[in-house]
Amino acid sequence: MAIDREKVIDQMSKVSAEANEDGLIPAFNVLVNQWPAKFWNEFSKRMVEAVDDDIKDAVEELLINAAHECGYHTGYGIITSKEWEAIVAPMVEKTEDVLHGAYAVFTAWGWANAEIVELVPGEKMVVRAYDYYEADIGEDYPGKKAPRVSAYMIRGVCGAFMDLAYGGKYDSEGKTGLYTFRCKQTKGIECGDEYGEFVTVKSEAYE
Amino acid sequence: MAELKIERKFDANRKRHYLNDSLTVLHCHHYATLFTQLALDAKELVDGTQILKESVEDVFFNVLSDYYKKNGITDTNERLNIAAQMFSAIGMGKMDIVSGDDNGGEVDMPIAYVDEGWVKKWGKHKGPVNFIGAGYVCGMFAAAFDKPVRTYKATETQSRVMGADKSHLKVTA
Repeated sequence: MAIDREKVIDQMSKVSAEANEDGLIPAFNVLVNQWPAKFWNEFSKRMVEAVDDDIKDAVEELLINAAHECGYHTGYGIITSKEWEAIVAPMVEKTEDVLHGAYAVFTAWGWANAEIVELVPGEKMVVRAYDYYEADIGEDYPGKKAPRVSAYMIRGVCGAFMDLAYGGKYDSEGKTGLYTFRCKQTKGIECGDEYGEFVTVKSEAYE
Repeated sequence: MAELKIERKFDANRKRHYLNDSLTVLHCHHYATLFTQLALDAKELVDGTQILKESVEDVFFNVLSDYYKKNGITDTNERLNIAAQMFSAIGMGKMDIVSGDDNGGEVDMPIAYVDEGWVKKWGKHKGPVNFIGAGYVCGMFAAAFDKPVRTYKATETQSRVMGADKSHLKVTA
């Protein structure tokens, strides 16, 4: 593998997130924000807790889909950004390197300390996250263990990154490519596991 | 008037970003607007927009209250000013405090991050969408005047996302 993961994380984590005179932070072809991780977790947790058990899955799907669509567009923004061009692009030799590089940026943004542990090009990806802010949701529950896996953002972004790598040409309207893949979370630190594990497969194979 | 002090730190071991010892994460306008859209879309299942506002209010009430305590800021005007500076520093846009006392006040947003993101993605909208901004304003007033959360309500009377040159929120206790 050509990607120097630690170098990418080190350099990408230093990319300036300071606001301009409009109070906006343009970077990586998107408008970045730097908000408390607690906010993202609180909204997700409260939305799921607010509904009866029989519709929790539906609410969770909404949360995952928001991240999936975000990951698709932001992921594209990242891999076509001047920051990527300067730091990661020189290391890329093939499509799979783009994915590994994307997960290094994912880590640099503070989303999760995550890496790809298994990759079948075009078919399946397994990611492990050894620390992630969404796991902090577990802290709010008895025994510090959440009743459900809760890393909706990581699930969505895993699906999105596979869409970008193997789902065809990027579509800015999200009508094609997006949702070619879907991700299931099979382990969660928030539930007491050693790491979070995320298995992404083609949508037709997803259960 | 006091200047906001911001200290940014990246924990290279845990790979986490901090602003003034508060754990933060970098996200983008796609995620903020999609969270907002899902709050609206979920209305058949749950009052998502209220949950969104309250989540923001609670979190920023704590962030701002902690900041005031650590930095010894007790003057309410200074507190409001610091909150407006923080609003910009974290990428939420620009805020001008038109008026503010413990009964409420008025706030202008010449730039509102959620609105800018929404328009960038989908164009104008028929109604306000900045529930995140409204929640921030409620938390900001509660922290400034040492009131509990849910003391204030912020109503957006004009919005950038609807085509206005600035968003305007009226805050009432």
